[in-house]
Amino acid sequence: MRRCILRLLATVFAIMAVNSSAALAAETVDAAKQDQPLNLTAISLFLVFVVVTLWISYWASRRTQSSSDFYNAGGGISGLQNGTAIAGDFMSAASFLGITGLIFIGGFDGLVLALGAFAAWPLMLFLLAKRVRNLGSYTFIDVISLRLERGPIRIVTVTGTIAVVVLYLIAQMVGAGKLIELLFGLPYEAAVVIVTLLVMAYVAFGGMLATTWVQIIKALLLIFGATLAAVLVMNQVGFSIDKLLAGAVENHPRGESILSSGVLFKDPIQIATILVSMMFGTLGLPHILMRLFTVPNMREARKSVFFASLFMGYFYLIIIILGFGTAYLLYGQPEYFGPDGKLIGGNNMAAIHLANAVGGDFLTGFMSAVSFATILAVVAGLTVAGAAAISHDIYAEVICKGKPNPKTELRLTRATTLAIGIIAVILGIMFENENVAFIATMPMVVAASVNFPILFLSLFWPGLTTRGAIAGGIVGLVAAVGLIVVGPQVWVSVLGHDEALFPYNYPALFTLPLALVITWWVSVTDRSARGQIDRRNYDELLVRSEYGTPDKPLKVHA
Amino acid sequence: MEDEKLRAAISRKTRLRLAFTVVTLVLYFAFTLNYLPLGYSLSQRIGDSWITGSLAMFVLLIITFIVLEFVFLFVDTEDDSGAGGS
Repeated sequence: MRRCILRLLATVFAIMAVNSSAALAAETVDAAKQDQPLNLTAISLFLVFVVVTLWISYWASRRTQSSSDFYNAGGGISGLQNGTAIAGDFMSAASFLGITGLIFIGGFDGLVLALGAFAAWPLMLFLLAKRVRNLGSYTFIDVISLRLERGPIRIVTVTGTIAVVVLYLIAQMVGAGKLIELLFGLPYEAAVVIVTLLVMAYVAFGGMLATTWVQIIKALLLIFGATLAAVLVMNQVGFSIDKLLAGAVENHPRGESILSSGVLFKDPIQIATILVSMMFGTLGLPHILMRLFTVPNMREARKSVFFASLFMGYFYLIIIILGFGTAYLLYGQPEYFGPDGKLIGGNNMAAIHLANAVGGDFLTGFMSAVSFATILAVVAGLTVAGAAAISHDIYAEVICKGKPNPKTELRLTRATTLAIGIIAVILGIMFENENVAFIATMPMVVAASVNFPILFLSLFWPGLTTRGAIAGGIVGLVAAVGLIVVGPQVWVSVLGHDEALFPYNYPALFTLPLALVITWWVSVTDRSARGQIDRRNYDELLVRSEYGTPDKPLKVHA
Repeated sequence: MEDEKLRAAISRKTRLRLAFTVVTLVLYFAFTLNYLPLGYSLSQRIGDSWITGSLAMFVLLIITFIVLEFVFLFVDTEDDSGAGGS
C-alpha cells in the first residue's frame, strides 16, 4: 500500500515536472495559455496538498476494512466534520469560479445560481436529513427500496444515479482539464490523467474516510482563500461595501445596471426554472445524500446539514465581494485582457485574476491550487457514489438479494472505483472540445426529475407504489434529457440549428411536476398486489423514519 | 395507544416541517420578483447607498434561511435522544 502510494506520488511529480517544462516552451497552446505564466507557487502549494491528501489516504486505508467503512466511513464522522465535508463536496469550481465569473460579466444576475445552490439546504434539513438517515444504510436508494419492490426500483434509481454521476463527472473532468491546462501549463490529457490517478488513490484505498478528509481540507482552504481575497478587496475600498459597489459601477461597461436584474437574464420563467433545477436537483444528488450516512445518528445528520449551510451561506455572501471586486479591479486593467478584449482565460478566470490583483503571485498560486483541490474533492465524492451504486445497490442488494460476500463486495467496490477512473479519463478526453455547458446542466435536471420525486414521495406519500415510482422515474429521465437536447445548449450550440425547439436550458420547472403527476396517477390507479404491499410498508416505516427504532424489528415486505 | 400517540406526534412534526418548507419555498421563489414588473422597486438603490433592494434581498434570504434552519433545529428536538437512527 505504502509502496503503491509512493509510486503514484512519484508518477504525479514526474508527469507534472515533465509537462511543466514542456509547457514553458509551449508553442502549441493557444493565446490564452501563452499569456498565463507558469505559477510555481501554485504548483508548490498543490503538491503540498497532494502529499497531505495521499498521506490521509494511506492512513484511511488502514481503517477501511469493510464495505461499511468504504461507503460511509463506518458512520464515525461527527456532525461538524460532515458538515464541512458536505460544503467541500458541494462548493465546486463552478460555484467559486463560475459564479464569480458571472458576476464579473453580469453583476447581480450571477447571484441567481448562488441562491439556487444554497437554498436547497434548508429543505434538506426540514424534509430529508432525519428520515433519510433513519431509513437508509449507505445510499438514498436504500431508503426507497426499503418500501418499494427492491429489484425494479433499484434498477431505475441506480440508472438515475449513474446518469447523474457520469454527467457530473464529464463536466468536472473537462473543467479540470481546461482549468489545469491554463493554471499549471499542463497538457489537457495529462491534467485529466492526474486528476483521475489522485482520485482513484483517495477512493480505492481510503474510501469515504479519505474522501471526507480531502473534502474537509478543501473546504477549509477554499473558505480561507476566499476570505483572504475578500479582506484584501475590502482593504482597497476602506472596508466600505458602498465604495466597492460604486467602483464596480464606475468601471463596468454596463454601469449601474449590474446592481440589479436584467443584464444576463430577463425572463422570469427562465429564472424560475433555474431555481427549481438548482434546488430540487441538489436534493437528489446521490453523492450529497450519501454523506448523511457517514454520521453515527440522526442528530449528527441534522447538525451536519446545519453546519454545511453555515459554511456555504458564509461562502455565498463572500462571493458578492469577490464578484463585484472583479468588476471594480479588473475592468480597465489591460494586463488581464487579451488582444481580443476578452478576459484572459475566459470569464471563469475572473476570481484567479482578482487574486492576482489583490494578493500577487502567492494568492494567485493559492487560489489556483485550491481550485484544483476543489475538483479533486468533488470527483472523489462522485466516485464513491458511483462505486456504491454498482457494488452495493446492484451487486449486494439486487444480485445477492442483500446477502453478499463482504470480501467480494469490497473487492468489487475497489474494482468499480478503478473502472470509473478509466471511464472518467476516456470521457474527459472524448469531450475535450465539446461544449460541456449542457453536460453541467444535465445532472441537476436529471436529479430533480428522477431522484428527488421518488425519494420525496417515498418518504411523505402513503399512496406511492413501485409501478408509480418506476413510471415517474422513466418519464422524468426521458423528459429531462429530451428537453435539454431540444433546448438552446444542445439544439443551437452543439447541433448548430438556428433556433431551439424548447427555450430553456434548465427544464426542471416542467419535468419535475411531470414526473410527480405521472408517479401520482400510476400509483393511484395501481390495483396490483404489490401496490397494496407498498402502501402498507409506508405505515410500517413511518415511526422508524421519524424516531429511528432499530431495536424494533421491521415488518416491511421486500 | 402508544402507537397512536406516536403517530399523532409524527403528524404534528410532519406539519411543522411542511410549514418550514412552505415558508422557505415562498421566500425562495420571491426572488423571481426581481424579474417581474411587480418587483421594480427592488432594482432601486436604498437611500443614498449603492446597495439595491435586489442585493439586500439576496443577503437577507441567505441569512433568513440559516435562521430558519436554526429555529427548526430548536423546535424539532423532542425526539433527538441520539438513541435512534444508528
